[in-house]
Amino acid sequence: MAYGRRLRQVVLSGVVAVAVLLVLLPILVMVRTVWKEGSGQLGNILTSPGLGVAVGNTLVLAVVVTALAVPIGALLALALRSPEVPGRRFWQFGVLLPVLVPDFVLGYSWVRAYGRAGFTDDLFGRYWQGVQGPAGVAAVVVVNAVPLCFLITAVGLAARAEPAVERAARISGADPLTVLRTITLPLMRPAILTAAALIFVLTLGTFAIPQVMGTPAGFTTITTRIYSNLARSSDPLSFIEAITLALLLVVIAVLVVTPADLLLGPRLRTTRVAISDSSAETGGRAARRWAAGGIGAYLLVAAGVPLLALVATAVTKAVGVPPSPANWTLENFRLVATARNGEALVRSLLLAVSAASVLVLLGGAVASLERSRGGRRVATLVTLTVVLPGSTLAVGLLITYGRWLGGTAAIILLAYVAKLWGIAHRPISGAIDRLPPEEQHAARVSGAAVLTAVRTVVLRPLAPALVAAWGVCFLTALHEVTMSSLLYGPGSETLAVVVLNSEELGAVGGTAALSVLLTLVLLVPALGLWFTSRALSSRRRPLATVPELPGAR
Amino acid sequence: MTLYTCVSDSTIQPVIKQFEAQHPGHKVDVFRAPTGDLNARVAGDARSGGLKADVIWACDPLTMQNYLDQKLVGGWTPQSDIPARVRTNDYVGVATLYLVAVTRKGSPQPKAWADLTTEEYVGGVAVPDPGTAASALGALGYFAQNPDYGIAFYAALKKNGAVQVGTPDNVTTGVAQGVYRAGITIANSAYPAQKKGSPINVVWPAPGAIAIYGPIALATHAKSSTMAKDFISYVTSKGGQTLIGASGSYPALPGIPSPSMPASAPVVFPDWSALGSQKKTLLKDYQKIFGGG
Repeated sequence: MAYGRRLRQVVLSGVVAVAVLLVLLPILVMVRTVWKEGSGQLGNILTSPGLGVAVGNTLVLAVVVTALAVPIGALLALALRSPEVPGRRFWQFGVLLPVLVPDFVLGYSWVRAYGRAGFTDDLFGRYWQGVQGPAGVAAVVVVNAVPLCFLITAVGLAARAEPAVERAARISGADPLTVLRTITLPLMRPAILTAAALIFVLTLGTFAIPQVMGTPAGFTTITTRIYSNLARSSDPLSFIEAITLALLLVVIAVLVVTPADLLLGPRLRTTRVAISDSSAETGGRAARRWAAGGIGAYLLVAAGVPLLALVATAVTKAVGVPPSPANWTLENFRLVATARNGEALVRSLLLAVSAASVLVLLGGAVASLERSRGGRRVATLVTLTVVLPGSTLAVGLLITYGRWLGGTAAIILLAYVAKLWGIAHRPISGAIDRLPPEEQHAARVSGAAVLTAVRTVVLRPLAPALVAAWGVCFLTALHEVTMSSLLYGPGSETLAVVVLNSEELGAVGGTAALSVLLTLVLLVPALGLWFTSRALSSRRRPLATVPELPGAR
Repeated sequence: MTLYTCVSDSTIQPVIKQFEAQHPGHKVDVFRAPTGDLNARVAGDARSGGLKADVIWACDPLTMQNYLDQKLVGGWTPQSDIPARVRTNDYVGVATLYLVAVTRKGSPQPKAWADLTTEEYVGGVAVPDPGTAASALGALGYFAQNPDYGIAFYAALKKNGAVQVGTPDNVTTGVAQGVYRAGITIANSAYPAQKKGSPINVVWPAPGAIAIYGPIALATHAKSSTMAKDFISYVTSKGGQTLIGASGSYPALPGIPSPSMPASAPVVFPDWSALGSQKKTLLKDYQKIFGGG
């Protein structure tokens, strides 16, 4: 047992050291930079014209997105709770589809689908005037955030559901709405509040969608303003303004997430094994059919039509000509199938695999420590890395480690690990929480060595959660663009960076072709993971855990 | 040596390939990004051990002047016949962007820039954001400095329902798609789209297309300074300039074949030295009209 304690202390020290290097140090270096180069300008920066509007837009966007995404995600989790929903497996995968598409690709696809001279305009003469503007930004950020809420609330349902109580209530005469209001929703409340807090802070830091869809309409947020300042950072004052705004965003995020985490964290932990009785009360056959139809309609509007518009753009020979068969070409794919893009794709895959593997180790390390007070503090610290805006982390890491690692793939890897650590940690933590500690003690008492006990008693039942954490980190790292676009150097461009640069250069057909390619690169492993997960589930009775989704944008 | 640039791949890659072929043993690593990302990269470098580039090839003189003010570049330029109008003692223009008008086929073609403020274009003009695109900032500078236009030109555009988009390429795309009837864009963006079949016309309105030159400069602390000087000399030479012209960009050296350009097309130039000190005020005035920032 002394060996186990020593091992735990070593792991704790290592995890604390990595968290300091990846999170605290870059932030402190940024504070020092602002203090050293711009302390006399802080007043001017914080009162500069337009900043108030950008802060207001950011906060309103976060509130609106949270208010819409949380009910939709929770409703989807409730609707897909019953195995009797027609095509339930398909819809579960479908709900996750938007998050498998890079957010900037999703934004671009929506503009092509619903904007003026877009897909619906060409086909039906109808377009949405507001798609490029605050309403469009909010809609797409909601679509992007719904899977996160869906997964968190699904975890909450799986861990806390009391189907027997719900059935008892129904037998006693309560109607379905009363059961939902008095039993199901109170049980889901901690998960819903956690999802709301996470979505709120993640929306504060969202960048790609406001940049692609909001900036052309003059809609600015703190993150687009940071990017705009960085774009003008050949002027030193603009650079200091960018860092100051990033720190402001960190402060806002910390103010929101820390109380939420302190309040909600303990309530989300449970020590009982979940009841996997899924015969929940979800209404009759007609209601389930309506649910399936509603989910299908939502997915068609949210992801189906935009992705179809993206493909149409990719196969059309020139901008402005109708996407009819006479104008179809594979020339755009031929143009983007360059050696350089191929190298970028391979580099992206290697970075994503490396990051996901390191993250599962780090996430598992933090999760294994959470039964101690020190471990729980580290877990809270790690949660902060999730909500740090990507641009903030990138600039901080660039100033802190750029001297040695600037422009290399290593600094991009560091950024991925820092940003996604909390995302890797949560699904594993959720599974460990429901892993009875007595089993490990029993193995040790029976003579198993520490590592043997971990391998046979802990890792095996945790396999689905570990695979899910790895997959989520892999997918998120593969389409990460905010940090990559600021950190890459000669020979370290990722595919997402190539796509974004192409979009900025105006090569619309080529951008669409690259985006289709990138989406396929994400969909193929996602399908692979889905089948693997199903196979694992069918072999053994699973722990009640559902992978949480990246909120990193 | 390492080159930082915002110039498109279609131009930079042939130039590097030919330079390496003519200089055995020389190897150029390139970091290519839009001006904004390039600036962020340079700013990060400057605060973490120094600029990692040996040569910077920028897309506008204001960006280069800012680098010079921070002593990141400068101190040397090669002998060349490139006109004095587009060079200083610290950097030299090697390519030019021309701000032109683009119109959707079937829409009226403006004879002068001022025509874009008339009722023929109500709600149908796209302008690039000078806070995002350096070329758009050059156009803002030119119009503001021209007494016949001034910042009032932008106010009139806005009053006429003009819409601000991000970059000149976004303007070209929007006009080609029929979202806008006309816009202000760069010739390098409009002509290739037209060639591919997009339904647009390219116009060089009076008093002229606005010329924005892209300068190249040696980094102050270049590690491979001999190779870097060789590269800059090559880019400014007749051979390098011919390659730039053949790749679709407009070379700075007179007499070199260029891409599409109407015979005796009118061209005007902003006063860059004045614009350096005016740009913050101009941007603020502009943003009061079109928002952003």
